[in-house]
Parts: sequence; C-alpha cells; structure tokens
Amino acid sequence: MTTLPDIGGQPVTEERDRAPLHLAAGIVIAVLAIGLYTQLARLSELVTYSMLRLTRGTHLASAVEFFVFEVPKVLLLLVGVVFVVGLLRSFLTPERARRALAGKREATGNVLAAIFGIATPFCSCSAVPLFIGFVSAGVPLGVTLSFLVSAPMVNEVALVLLFGLFGWKVAALYLVTGLSIAIAAGWIIGRLKLERHVEPWVWAMQAGEAPADAPKRWSERFSDARAAVREIVGKVWPFVVVGIAVGAGIHGYVPTNFLAAFMGRDAWWAVPLAVLLGVPMYSNAAGIIPIVEALLGKGAALGTVLAFMMSVIALSLPEMIILRKVLRPVLLATFVAIVAAGILVVGFIFNAVL
Amino acid sequence: MHHIEVLGPGCTRCKETFRVVQQVVESAGIQVELVKEESYERMAALGVMSTPAVVIDGTVVVSGRIPKAAEMRELLGIS
Repeated sequence: MTTLPDIGGQPVTEERDRAPLHLAAGIVIAVLAIGLYTQLARLSELVTYSMLRLTRGTHLASAVEFFVFEVPKVLLLLVGVVFVVGLLRSFLTPERARRALAGKREATGNVLAAIFGIATPFCSCSAVPLFIGFVSAGVPLGVTLSFLVSAPMVNEVALVLLFGLFGWKVAALYLVTGLSIAIAAGWIIGRLKLERHVEPWVWAMQAGEAPADAPKRWSERFSDARAAVREIVGKVWPFVVVGIAVGAGIHGYVPTNFLAAFMGRDAWWAVPLAVLLGVPMYSNAAGIIPIVEALLGKGAALGTVLAFMMSVIALSLPEMIILRKVLRPVLLATFVAIVAAGILVVGFIFNAVL
Repeated sequence: MHHIEVLGPGCTRCKETFRVVQQVVESAGIQVELVKEESYERMAALGVMSTPAVVIDGTVVVSGRIPKAAEMRELLGIS
C-alpha cells in the first residue's frame, strides 16, 4: 500500500485509497455538467422545433421551449451549489457558530449571526433546540433572532434559483436585503429588551457543553456533501418541475403586461398584499421562484415580487407555531411585525428605485 | 447493553433516523434500549442544537443529519 498525502490528519485507510478515483469521477461529472449547461439553449430549441415539430411563435412552442430550457438548467445549478454548500457546511456547524457568537457584543453579533445563517444547516424543526442552545450559552436574544431570520430566508436554494432565473444582480440584491432585514430585526429586538417575553423555562435550562467536533477527513466531507445533494435536491426537485411548468404556462399564455395593473410599481397596495399573501403560504424557495419569474416577465414589479418571496420563505405559519414554544405572544408578534416591516421596506424601495 | 436515544421534535428526518437505527439494531439481533426522545430539555442538556441527533450511552454521535446504516453499525461495534 502506498502512502498517500494525508489531508485530514487521519491514518491512511482503505477508503482513502479510493479517494483519487472519486475525485477523478467528480471532475469528469463536473466537466460534463458544465458542458451540458452551456448547450441548454440549443438543446431546448432542438427538442421544441426539430423533435416535437412545434410551430415557431405559438403559445405552446413558447411554453415548451421555456420548460425544456429551465428545468435542466435549474436542476444542474441546484446540484452544483448544494454540493459546494454541503462541503462548506462540514466546516460550519451550529456548535461552532454558537462558540463564535457567545460573548459577542450586539451589532457585531447581529451581523455575524446573519452571515452564519446563510451557510449553517437549518430546518425549521431545529429552530427550538437551536434557540435554546444559543440563548442558554449567553448569545443575546436579538443576535439569536438575527440568526433565526437569516437561516431560512437567505439560503443557497433561494440564491441558486434567483441567480439561475433572474441573473446575479437580483440574487445579490436578495442576499444583501435579506441579510439587512435579519440584522436590523435582531438589533431592534435587542433594543426593546424583550427578554422577559421568552418562555421562563428556557432561562432555567442548563446548557450542556456541545460535543467536540471530531476532525473530519476529506472523504467524509465529500460524502456529507453528496448526502446533502441527495436529501435537498431529492426533496425540492418536484417543486422545481411543477413550479417551472406553471411558469411555462404563464410564460406562453398570459399576455405581457397583464399583471402590470395590479402587481406593477404604481399599485402602492401591491407590496403589503404580497407580504400578507405570503404568510399562510408554506413553500420552499424552489417551488415559488419559477412562478415568480413568470410573474415578473409579465409586468409585476421586482420589489413586489421579492417581498412576496421573502414573506413566503421567512414568515411561514408552521415556523411561527414552532417558535411559539419558546417565545411568548408579545415577543413572537413583535418579531413577526418587525420582519414583515423590513420586507415591506425592501419591497417599496425596489419598486421606487428600479 | 447500549442505551440509544434518537433526539428530535418529531419531524420526518427524525423519524427516518429512528427507522435507520431500529433497522440496524434489529438486523444485527443485538439487545439495546432504544428510545425516541422529543423533549427539548434533554436536547439542551446534551448540547444538541440541530436535529435529528443520535446519542449512544449519553454521548452524542450524530447531530443534524440522518446517519447511514453502515455508520450506525460501526458506532455500535457491529461487524
């Protein structure tokens, strides 16, 4: 057995011997995927007009071409980014985030917490253990809430879809405004001194010392990232396909500027209405963005659309019900009101500026 | 006899984790005490912040993900 250069500080094992093979296979797959990605426009044309023999300029052809182009594009992007974020996540655990945030002053803490929220693994059923873990380790309430806003709202699936369907500018705007809302909401709650509105049993909780992270080998990180792809893409792909199918229908059949009257920038009430509509809707970013893209294409204003999306993702009813276990009604209502206000401001600013 | 706890508030990923552990234990035919722990107090006491988590004899061995069967066998010393 030849000794391979050791990355993780672990003894060379049998599994390690296959690592170069995995790496080579990974590179080949990545190259093929990028090649396919660059040819998608040609491919969708080929399918629509040569294979299905649809007539150019018809609603059906337009809808089919949109669908055949967008589905593989978004799925390829999703797999790539979820894999990379999966690798990043093997370095950034909630335990590490907590260690970094405990004892941080507010303001700095709010900013850090919001940034950690982007890449930290999070599902809404972890919200309560995470809240308790943070608060009982001395992370300020406002900083903890910054994290809890940012974690679901600014995530890699949302960013991929925005980048894939709207371009990098909209994705960057979403990232920056989403982080700003998370930072501002947490900071304001910190100023309001609402600690007494956390359920008392939370403060009585004895925080255990987080288990020490075992050093990971690269092969383990890659296998974690593959598992993340299976789990996340496995869960969201039906939403993506259905979402794009609905989007394709709108794309092909709804006349341009149809929505401009009631979702355009002149309708002042469009933004609050979008936020209100978003609350009871529980969807992940994957399901909502393709529909939203089609809306935008038909004359809806960007600010209204972004507000709708943020509301659907960040202000979901199930998550509020879960958070009610640790937050008393006054604090929960304040929290929701501040986040909703932040989303409104973002919506109005974009409609005014763009 | 090992004491295994599967921690989680009852979401689908937690149920899946319980199923993986149960299957490993059953197919190996070993005697263990397997419990599903849904209390936040227990999670906080163990320092668990992301669920699902698996705890063997009081030690957190998996946190924030669904373990693979092979991994569980290794952790339980089943060859």
